[in-house]
Amino acid sequence: MFREIFLFEIKLGFKKPATYIYFAIYFLLNLMLGLAAAGFFDVATMDTNTVANSASVVAGILVGMNQDVLGLVNSVILVAIMATAIQRDYEYNTFPFFFTKPITKTQYYFGRFLGAFLLGVFVFSGQLVGYFLGTLYGAGTPLMGPFLPQNFLMPFLIFVVPNLLLLGSIVFSLTTFTRSTFAAYLFCIVLLVIRLISDRIISDLDNKELAAILEPFGAQAFMYITEYWTPAEQNTRMIPLSGVLLYNRLIWTGVALLISFISFYKFSFQQFLTPIRWFSKSRQTDEASAAHIQEQHTLADLPKVTLDFSWKSSLKQWAYLSVFELKKLVQTPFFLIIALLGLIMMLILAQYMGSIYDTVTYPVTYQILEMLSGIFQLFILILIVFFSGTLIWRDREQKTDELIGVTPVSNSVLFFSKFTGLVLSVMLLNVLIMVTGIAIQLSSGFTDVQPLQYIQTLFGRRLLSTIIIIGFSMAVQVYTPNKYLGFFINLVVILFTSLIFGLLEWNHPLYHFNSSGPSLPYSDMNGFGHLVGVFLLFKTYWMAIVMLLILPATLLWARGKESGWKARYKLSKELLTPTFKLSLVVCLLIAIVTGGYIYYNLNVLNSYKSPKEDEKELVAYEQEYKYLQHIPQLRVTAVSVQADIYPESRSLKAKGRYTLRNNHQIPVDTLVINSVGGEKSWYSYRFSFGDNPDVTLLKNDSLRGITIYKFTNPVAPGDSVVFDFELAYAPRGFASSPSTMIVENGTFFNNKIFPSIGYDPNYELSSNTARKKYGLPAKPRMADINDSLARMNNYIANDADWIRFEAVVSTSEDQIAIAPGYLEKQWKENGRNYFYYKMDSPILHFYAFQSARYQIKRDSWKGVNIEIYYHKGHEYNLDRMIESIKSSLAYYTENFSPYQHRQVRIIEFPRYASFAQSFPNTIPFSESIGFIAKMDKDDPESIDVPFYVTAHEVAHQWWAHQVIGGNVQGSVVMSETMSQYAALMVMEKTYGKKAMKKFLKHEMDDYLSGRTMENKKEVPLMLCENQGYIHYSKGSVVMYALRDYLGEDVLNAAIRKYLQQTAFSGPMYTNAIEFVNTIKEYTPDSLVYLVKDMFEEITVYENYVKSLDYKQKEDGTYEVTFTVGAAKYYADSLGKQKRVPVADYIDVAVFGETEKGEEDKELWMQRIKMDQEEKTFTIQLAEKPISVGIDPYLKLIDRSPINNVVKFGHTPPKVSLDEYENRPKGIVVEVES
Amino acid sequence: MELKIKDVSKTYANGVKALHNINLTIGRGMFGLLGPNGAGKSTLMRTIATLQDPDTGSIHLGDLDILRNKSELRKKLGYLPQDFGFYPKVSAWDLLNHFAVLKGISNKNERKEIVAGLLHQTNLYEVRKRYISEYSGGMRQRFGIAQALLGNPSLIIVDEPTAGLDPMERNRFHNLLSEIGEQIIVILSTHIVDDVKNLCRRMVVMNRGTIMLEGTPAEAQETVQHKIWQKLINKEELKTYKEQYQVISSAISEGKMWIRVYAETDPANGFEQVSVSLEDVYFATITKK
Repeated sequence: MFREIFLFEIKLGFKKPATYIYFAIYFLLNLMLGLAAAGFFDVATMDTNTVANSASVVAGILVGMNQDVLGLVNSVILVAIMATAIQRDYEYNTFPFFFTKPITKTQYYFGRFLGAFLLGVFVFSGQLVGYFLGTLYGAGTPLMGPFLPQNFLMPFLIFVVPNLLLLGSIVFSLTTFTRSTFAAYLFCIVLLVIRLISDRIISDLDNKELAAILEPFGAQAFMYITEYWTPAEQNTRMIPLSGVLLYNRLIWTGVALLISFISFYKFSFQQFLTPIRWFSKSRQTDEASAAHIQEQHTLADLPKVTLDFSWKSSLKQWAYLSVFELKKLVQTPFFLIIALLGLIMMLILAQYMGSIYDTVTYPVTYQILEMLSGIFQLFILILIVFFSGTLIWRDREQKTDELIGVTPVSNSVLFFSKFTGLVLSVMLLNVLIMVTGIAIQLSSGFTDVQPLQYIQTLFGRRLLSTIIIIGFSMAVQVYTPNKYLGFFINLVVILFTSLIFGLLEWNHPLYHFNSSGPSLPYSDMNGFGHLVGVFLLFKTYWMAIVMLLILPATLLWARGKESGWKARYKLSKELLTPTFKLSLVVCLLIAIVTGGYIYYNLNVLNSYKSPKEDEKELVAYEQEYKYLQHIPQLRVTAVSVQADIYPESRSLKAKGRYTLRNNHQIPVDTLVINSVGGEKSWYSYRFSFGDNPDVTLLKNDSLRGITIYKFTNPVAPGDSVVFDFELAYAPRGFASSPSTMIVENGTFFNNKIFPSIGYDPNYELSSNTARKKYGLPAKPRMADINDSLARMNNYIANDADWIRFEAVVSTSEDQIAIAPGYLEKQWKENGRNYFYYKMDSPILHFYAFQSARYQIKRDSWKGVNIEIYYHKGHEYNLDRMIESIKSSLAYYTENFSPYQHRQVRIIEFPRYASFAQSFPNTIPFSESIGFIAKMDKDDPESIDVPFYVTAHEVAHQWWAHQVIGGNVQGSVVMSETMSQYAALMVMEKTYGKKAMKKFLKHEMDDYLSGRTMENKKEVPLMLCENQGYIHYSKGSVVMYALRDYLGEDVLNAAIRKYLQQTAFSGPMYTNAIEFVNTIKEYTPDSLVYLVKDMFEEITVYENYVKSLDYKQKEDGTYEVTFTVGAAKYYADSLGKQKRVPVADYIDVAVFGETEKGEEDKELWMQRIKMDQEEKTFTIQLAEKPISVGIDPYLKLIDRSPINNVVKFGHTPPKVSLDEYENRPKGIVVEVES
Repeated sequence: MELKIKDVSKTYANGVKALHNINLTIGRGMFGLLGPNGAGKSTLMRTIATLQDPDTGSIHLGDLDILRNKSELRKKLGYLPQDFGFYPKVSAWDLLNHFAVLKGISNKNERKEIVAGLLHQTNLYEVRKRYISEYSGGMRQRFGIAQALLGNPSLIIVDEPTAGLDPMERNRFHNLLSEIGEQIIVILSTHIVDDVKNLCRRMVVMNRGTIMLEGTPAEAQETVQHKIWQKLINKEELKTYKEQYQVISSAISEGKMWIRVYAETDPANGFEQVSVSLEDVYFATITKK
């Protein structure tokens, strides 16, 4: 019988089209992903080091398909496939047929369950099969490695199958026992909440391992074990079913089995007749009225009524029905649960809000709206999809449709009252968001609540978008022959189309459902920006389109018993009145006009390009003008600019004069000018040469931004000429990607928009895979560190060395405009503010302009003016920033060199970009980093972000603005790495060593995970090619350790010397070799290996505690015996590791308890030379030891930091000393060919 | 005012001929539509009630072409479908008020009065605050009539209203219906002969989408007068009898079986003539070969 029941279930499943539809969704989606990975689509190409058919990528895809919203879709599909296997027998009343047959519970229960489970496995195998077939297209290309069956099968077996068993057994049990799928669907929502919350909470480093074991789907475990896999490991390693992943899979498969067996045990055929009810009260069955004495009435007694069919009456009907529908929706458990879950989620996430380096931000209103209620929006989306099905189908499901169908109420009133009811219910949720948000703000003592911003966001922008989605999904439900197909279509359109369109680079907003056009996030400085009108335009466009769906839907409204569009239309065709037709035409016109206007703006006023087309532009630039690269050019030696900023019209007029000098030994007769080019560019330029008109225009290519002049009289060596330019920038209509480039309040731009001299190789296409496609030679990311030609330029500017600078900047009357230099003069003219800035010392050809309505906070340090230009209301951290500036100036002047300026200014700009950047005596600083950070005063480890960022940027005044490396590999060491080091020192002086621990741990983590995502090649620090994970993260760790090994004084002495030798020097610019050599000069011979390992190799350690034990002796002292080991590896550019002998100085320590009860008191600490793989120590201690560590403070880069410190009583984790090359060779990966 | 149904036919997509050339004229009073399940009654009811379109034919209420002016008819229509449900967790008062709004009674006070009046009329006033989902079958049917009576309809259609009601409820329901039937056109579709016998002035018998018989109950009875015969047989013999005669009904009695057959002349063979009832007419009509 088991077999029959099992087969029956499967046969039934394979007869349903839905099974194939679900399979097809997964198949197609993953086929697309596979094809995209295989380079099938004609889109812009990026470089990659990883192959797309490795076990880790396949596992990543499968795990990713189960996350966030996709996870929700999975669970919902699983409910549809698996949950109803038994419940169905009840629903269709077929249960007596089974229960009266001689079958056992086991046969019935497991037959059904396993049948359904197998169907689930079939449907989800669509993911695997789709991806596999997609990647096959790339077979034989460098994008794919050898196709190994286990690469695909193992991830499926490790992740998908156990997850199906877990989810399946839960939804199956829930549905079987409550006899409705409602509980199962609810469970899906709860699961989504768990997924979303755990994702965010786990970001805290300390929880990773625990989270990896506890998270039910193995996603965290997968990320945990693969987090530091280098590209080489990603390409070759199998997913190791061991450690946390094994525990995780065992635990949750166990849970799944347990649930199945408990539910099997509890299941009985009788239970079917008394389902578990959660929400409804027991039915009242009394028939109190049955015996009621019948009174006699006659119809004549009935009051006369007037029937009113005017439009006014229709309005009244609509209003009444809307409220009626709203009440019905709000009363459903689903609504209450969504509201409750959303609320809980907001409260939980409030605890983890806005973490930057684990530092919390103040709960400003936009943070609340974006971070906390963002996920609520997702819930609202789900609610809309679900409720639109409910609303449209409820009358038919509850069989009131015939009663309503014969009333004279119009289809439009019926549709729009349901529509309005749903809109109102979403508005109620928005009220809840607003109230909760304000409560969160107030309860954390934050009083700068902005109710207007809440209202504008929740009841303006978001509501409009929501209304369009509601209209769409309700209309879809009218058209579809059943509710589930409607759900499906809505989910696909709302969730998946943008994903698939993205893969295909179909990015035009005209066909991206409910697109909003170019948009800016809310900024305290600039409010909603200038794009509110554009937003409304897009929403009008989509509303008109949705109305074009809704209006016919009212014709096809399922009023009667007819099914099929044709019959329904025939039934209602009398509604096809002239007014109706007129409305259709009006909507069509609105859609055409708004859509046309959008098209006009994006494609006519501006040029709309796909990434692929952009790529071609770059290729054309290179092909046409590459020959110019080596024609000798003049160099900018002085710059004088007048920049008139017009914030109201967001435009700019600028005039500038460059002094150009011939630094070559030969005359220069050609001048190549690079400017912002492009079709229909918003920039226009005019060039002239002061009083010297003796030039011939050879070429003026505004498309590519290249202008070429020939001097009639070549400029002799050492001579200079003046070059004048006029620049006008005016936005035309709207296009994509707005930035801080002239906004109403908070303008920030730099001299990249000014003309530059010479061909600029930075505009060349950088992806080598793409270059190959276009027949261009491969191009290194950066020139070789020893490339002496490249070192003739610094890495900031190709056309200048150190320049003189002055600028007049003007702006509107209520704003202050700032440029580098010192304010010499300030005046008003024609209702505008003018500022004249002049720099008194040479600076790099790199300067920025800012304008906004600023408040200014001033201070000074030893004659250096400190000014912070900030947005009113952002006073929170000004004192910290000033404190940081002072401490920085103190440390840097004492340890590095004198400060070259008399002023430090920090100037805030809107959060459209979130960075701070150092220009000469000027530091633009985004409002989103630092200005609203909130320090936790009680946590000694919390990182003071504003303090740190400020110290880093101030350090750049030395590192970049005093010494600048050539345009070659490794030069970022002398700017970014050194600024990190400087900031670390200042932070340590202020906050103590302890506060550094968390910071360095983050940096180590960023480095180890950053290198796994390297898409070209990892290089040693000294050869760094502008790779953030190396020059920031590894740089911090390395410099901090170097300071420890050499001593701060020695290291700083070396740094001082290097600065003296190189500050303000021009071509040939210094390089990192010179820097490292200077350090080596100060390094004792015994440690030269260390400097080499740190800078010249990619060195990774595996330091570990092997065993440990202690005995307490009679005199009360302790004898501790332990063995520690160290292995050292050099990695290649793909992260392939080669073990090398170790003979290194490494800290070994034993820790005890402090008086405060912290377990980090050093009882014994030595830097020993590990000249063997393992060493055993026996030492006597007076205090009770708690743990033993080797390199306990993680000074060295360690590929698994968790085994460095082990507590007594714990077994040290098993260590793997593999080089991870234990797999068959044969991977073809092309790098830099 | 009369309801005129002319040449109405309807074939479903699956080939079932639900209505075949129906021609009917229905005047004021209670009109019975008798037929077995699947005879096409509900299709006809729904077609009149604007919920379905026929393939061919026309239906007029007075001068109103109801297939072309469905919204006009809906203003004058009361309908109680065979199979209907109500929203859960809505009280009778609220729901009746809800339907009153849908019917276009936009004056709040009038609405209140008519709702109260109808609940009194149908004896539901005392339980007006209870959820309809908790009503018994009879109460639900009465509520169904109450909503059908909203807005002074001139045509009321009730589809199988008494199925499943206990005798007392049925009686109560008949009383309600008969009063309504005095003033307007009421079409009552049913497969219970008694309903028609007690209530209807005129009636038709429908089977397989066609009208088999039309007239008053008395006229109908006349058509089979002297043509119904009965006999007590063994159960096993039924098959043989069915082959030989038009057996219109059978009833078990003390282990044996009474069968009734329709025959123009005396079938002899032990049959005896019986006095006819409307039931015989019905069975004779629908078993006609």
